[in-house]
Amino acid sequence: MTPGRDDLAYLSAARLAVLVKERQVSPVELVRIYLERIDRFDSRLRAYITVLPEAALEAARKAEAAVMRGESLGPLHGVPYAVKDQFATAGVRTTLGSRILEHHVPVEDATVVARLNEAGGVLLGKLNLTEFALGGTQRFPFGQPRNPWNVDHDPGGSSSGSGIAVAAALCAASLGEDTGGSVRTPASWCGVVGLRPTWGRVSRHGSFPLSWSMDTAGPLTRTVEDAALILQVVAGHDPRDPLTSRRPSPECSSTLGRGVGGLRIGVIRELTLGEETHTEVRAAVTAAAGRLQGLGATVDEISVPLVPLAGAVFMALADSDGAGLHQPWLRARPMDYDQGTRRRLLTASLIPTATYQQAARARALIRAQLRAALVPYDLLLCPTAHQAAPPITTGRAAITTRQDVAGRFFTRRSYVAPASLAGIPAIAIPCGFTRDGLPISLQLLGRPFDEATLLRAAYAYEHDTEWSRRRPAL
Amino acid sequence: MKELTTDQVSAMAGALGLPVTPDDLVEVTHRLNALLEALAPLATLPLDTVEPVPALPDEPPTS
Repeated sequence: MTPGRDDLAYLSAARLAVLVKERQVSPVELVRIYLERIDRFDSRLRAYITVLPEAALEAARKAEAAVMRGESLGPLHGVPYAVKDQFATAGVRTTLGSRILEHHVPVEDATVVARLNEAGGVLLGKLNLTEFALGGTQRFPFGQPRNPWNVDHDPGGSSSGSGIAVAAALCAASLGEDTGGSVRTPASWCGVVGLRPTWGRVSRHGSFPLSWSMDTAGPLTRTVEDAALILQVVAGHDPRDPLTSRRPSPECSSTLGRGVGGLRIGVIRELTLGEETHTEVRAAVTAAAGRLQGLGATVDEISVPLVPLAGAVFMALADSDGAGLHQPWLRARPMDYDQGTRRRLLTASLIPTATYQQAARARALIRAQLRAALVPYDLLLCPTAHQAAPPITTGRAAITTRQDVAGRFFTRRSYVAPASLAGIPAIAIPCGFTRDGLPISLQLLGRPFDEATLLRAAYAYEHDTEWSRRRPAL
Repeated sequence: MKELTTDQVSAMAGALGLPVTPDDLVEVTHRLNALLEALAPLATLPLDTVEPVPALPDEPPTS
């Protein structure tokens, strides 16, 4: 039976690539389907800052012609995708979600965008984000992004639009950027898969920076298979980013089906069972660990004592790096920033150097603890976020005490910052829903450059459960 | 660390040439005090046993 238009929109990128290759689906038709959905839903969801209908249709027509000529096709041939508006796109404005760069038009593509296009992907548009990928934006210049599962709730950030667009099938797959959870948090709250690759695995060239030693591009997708597919396309050394690894792009797709038999998984007690973790999240993640055990993995509870400090350590380091980058605009155009961004950057500008140095050393200790845990264990497991998506109004409330700051910024980041500080890969995958119908997410952390094991375990869990098959009622 | 006052934060920002509105100042003070408080436990860690080196791209896997 031929799938309906909405069913086509929700197919995985990998499946769509096969249908295009077999001439069962036209790339032009696919682009039209997603453009129609963007027209129907995005005035409310605000996933996109810029939509590229003419360019996408033109690229799709070329993709279709290539199919009809029987040419050799890339792995994403004819598949419509979108990217966070943090990645440079030649001739297409790249705003960083800020009025400051409202009219900024790069002259070349970011390496990751060029690689997605070379693989045959069709760029649909640029996706909304918290201003300058920082988080804490109070008023979004290009519209308030909303969670497809409940539009009164936060979709997560900073790659907000990347999570929304995938969850609502406004594209087949998206690319985000994760410095301190900016791929994994929106993946968690929007109920999709989000992969943060090993730092150095993916080129940062053409991605507006926040913190040089943690910035990492990564896919947000509806399936683990798609995350593996996108990773393989964007990964690999780039001479324009001297800090990218010279290791070849990982071959992850072929090992996805190997299961978790024999794998050793350590459940991080401080993050999974800690008092900050909401009850429903704890129950869902604990059940997921049990499910992996049932599939053949050895699962133990372990302690990584310093991870609760990771959120504050991350903010001391990454925010300081960001403040350094923003000094000229912070002095010359302070009122062009959103209030939340400006106050975060001003605060970071005043962090004492000695405190920064202490945080940098604490980072090394946290990293050492995680790396030590990853000697006896192949993977570590914990929630991606301590709670499901909070109401949008929570993030807009005034900060009137120090406790407001800790609750809003440090706690949540302590769940995602450990992988960022350690430079190790991590993946967020749906593992349940709250009683209110909001997604809950499981996080797996792996050894450096071992995304294959991470994806293999995520794939086994995904295929043993039905969470990823649910769709939001739009 | 002693809690910073808005006057002290204003002076620090002024010394750096950073413009801070009165409304910004109150929140920036809360934010800075909260961060310094959250990082206070670092003083109890053996920080002198490690060097502040971030992750390197080509380090070998742990096994």
